[in-house]
Amino acid sequence: MNKNRKSRNFMQLSPGWNAFSNATAALFSLLCVFPFLFVVLISFTDEKTLATNGYRLIPEKWSVGAYSYVFETGDMLLKSYGVTILITVVGTLLSLFMISLYSYAISRKSFKYRRFFSLFAVFTMLFNGGMIPTYIIVTQVLGLKDSLWALIWPLAMNAFYIMILRTFYMTSVPDAIVESGKIDGAGEFKIFYRLVLPLSLPGLATIGLFSTLGYWNDWFNALLYIDDPNKVPLQSMLMRIENSMSFIQQNSANSSISLEVMQSLPQDTARMAMVVLATLPIIFAYPFFQRYFVSGLTIGSVKE
Amino acid sequence: MNKGKGRLALIAAMLAIVLVVGACGNNGGNESADGAEETAELIWYTIGTPQKDVTAVMDQVSAYTKEKINATVTMKMIDWGDYQQKMQVNVASGEPMDIIFTSAGGFDYVQNVRKGAFLQIDELLTEYGQGIVDTIDPGFLEGSKVDGHNYGIPANKELPQQEVWRFNQNLLDKYDLDIGKVRSLESLEPLMATIKANEPNVTVFGMDKNHVPYVPYDYLITNLPMAVKLDTDDYKIVNILETDEMKQALATMRKYYQAGYISPEAATVGSTSDLTLSGNWFVDRAQTQPLADNQWSATYGYPVVSTPASDAIITNTSVQGSIMAITANSEYPEKAMEFLNLLNTDPVLRNMVDSGIEGTHYEKIDDNRMRNLPEAKNYDMPSYSLGNNMLLNLNENDPDNKWDVFKEFNAEGVASPILGFNFDSANVSTQMAAIQNVKEQYWSALMTGTVDPDEYLPTALEAFKQAGMDEVITEAQAQLDEWVAEAK
Repeated sequence: MNKNRKSRNFMQLSPGWNAFSNATAALFSLLCVFPFLFVVLISFTDEKTLATNGYRLIPEKWSVGAYSYVFETGDMLLKSYGVTILITVVGTLLSLFMISLYSYAISRKSFKYRRFFSLFAVFTMLFNGGMIPTYIIVTQVLGLKDSLWALIWPLAMNAFYIMILRTFYMTSVPDAIVESGKIDGAGEFKIFYRLVLPLSLPGLATIGLFSTLGYWNDWFNALLYIDDPNKVPLQSMLMRIENSMSFIQQNSANSSISLEVMQSLPQDTARMAMVVLATLPIIFAYPFFQRYFVSGLTIGSVKE
Repeated sequence: MNKGKGRLALIAAMLAIVLVVGACGNNGGNESADGAEETAELIWYTIGTPQKDVTAVMDQVSAYTKEKINATVTMKMIDWGDYQQKMQVNVASGEPMDIIFTSAGGFDYVQNVRKGAFLQIDELLTEYGQGIVDTIDPGFLEGSKVDGHNYGIPANKELPQQEVWRFNQNLLDKYDLDIGKVRSLESLEPLMATIKANEPNVTVFGMDKNHVPYVPYDYLITNLPMAVKLDTDDYKIVNILETDEMKQALATMRKYYQAGYISPEAATVGSTSDLTLSGNWFVDRAQTQPLADNQWSATYGYPVVSTPASDAIITNTSVQGSIMAITANSEYPEKAMEFLNLLNTDPVLRNMVDSGIEGTHYEKIDDNRMRNLPEAKNYDMPSYSLGNNMLLNLNENDPDNKWDVFKEFNAEGVASPILGFNFDSANVSTQMAAIQNVKEQYWSALMTGTVDPDEYLPTALEAFKQAGMDEVITEAQAQLDEWVAEAK
């Protein structure tokens, strides 16, 4: 009896602590989720009610006006969706491909130039040419101005991800596995995609998630390289609207600007609706990548 | 040794790749230049939300300008908020451009003149821009000179700026209030008291954090405290917070704040659009232009009337509200000037650029009146940024004498004593940054009456002094004295 209770206490928390920890976690997650829920609520508020009463949790009058506005004026929004999804998918695949190959090469101890190529990657983390030279390279040397590739290539390689993945290969793919492949007569490429890749799914998923988010949320490259309104990704479009709002507010003293332009900008609720529409799809990226986060695949594969 | 060779080979290979790609890029660039001997292809960057039909309209414009001056035009629109940053990159990277929009508020005119972004156009203006000189108000060209030279063509529109008190007419009518005697900040009090007593839910005096009580001074830099009195004869630069006028205004604002006329949020809120949208306000201050009352009323959906709060003053900011400059790297500066000349003198071209294609975006109802067609939503341009406004067709419900009213308004404008003087803060940039920080800290709270000026004004003045206000004023004064001596 006595012994039983002891072992139970050892394995789990006392009910009081349990409740406390759960409450803390619940409170914390509420704090994280609340702002987004609030945005959703505002997007469903009637515009006029919002102006009179301000933001409220339970608005006096509900309305889907913002969403119908967004969809009516919104071939813009749909196009941006298309652009964002395209660059996210292509970009993530491309960067996974390049990063996984590069970091695998420099993770192999038998690679002669691994020090040079590691440094080569790290160097770009410490130093870069700055905005203007980068801009000149992309637009004038590579000729990518106004091209969707300008949104994909600059983010495709990332020295930090290379370092993460290299460390992942080095720690969780034992050399002995590579050796075993060699003994069985596999070439370097076969070893890579039949042995190493399947073992590194959690690492690849991490990098994949990072770069998906990176592509989805990137607006700065579009600001620099894209003039054509048909090629503007979602986040960049939101950013443009926000920037324009604040520009016009700052210059509201100039009556000719503010009068003409204020009317053409979306109202508060419509902006919130856009935020909701821009965020929803990416929420589903998390569960998709989550299933690859399984650890312990290599346990028992090698006897040290 | 071996290792070194390998590296060299690698670097060489990379260089080779870059060179090959670079060569391709260059070829692409040359093609457009080849056609240049015959027709100049002008590239025009301007501000505003990119419109769907810009290319279609510019094709028409190009057909017209090709015939007139043998040049074609490509317009690139950059959205309001992005303009500043994007143009900085474009200028710095030598992007091919010929004509760009610049103003006091977006992609700063004076700053970029000093950086050498624009071509100095004194000679071009006399040679190819005679039409501009004859047409637009001379105050514009005079006022937009930097260090004695012209670098851009201001749009001919309202020249002075004038502050007005705007009233929500529904409330004026309801309580039968007379605004005939309103002019100074103090004269508002009886009206505001009536509204406060009867309409507890209305924001009596609407304002946002950028509000600054009007005092008869012209600021060297908008919203920084260095200023010169409008009727000065000794051109002395003062700290606006030390002037009697401002002290009195701040005391009045504090009184209004304590009486509850001013919203407690005023010092932090970025815009009053909630108030104007809901109609839940009584009075605020705004900058006017002729016929603004009609526009405000139309925009808000209820009647708004205004009465002057200041004289109409021509300042650097008002003159530099919208300028088109020719870039320093323009391939065809002469053609660009010819085009600007045509844009500012030829009603056909000016209206095409502004309203689009007749029959598609708008229709004529008589000689100089037009009506927008539904397609106009694909070509909705900000008129103020595109050149001479006084050539524009009238809208359906504009009064016949719209542009005459503008001309009268411009004629009434009084030039600020420092019109055309542009302070170069390069020598005191550290102090300027510190002053900006101090300003962020105290400005809004003081100006909206949120804090007691008796207590906080001395603190703020001390903070400004510590930030190097005196050095800035000394430097500015030296520049101003020199400018005054030269001007005379």
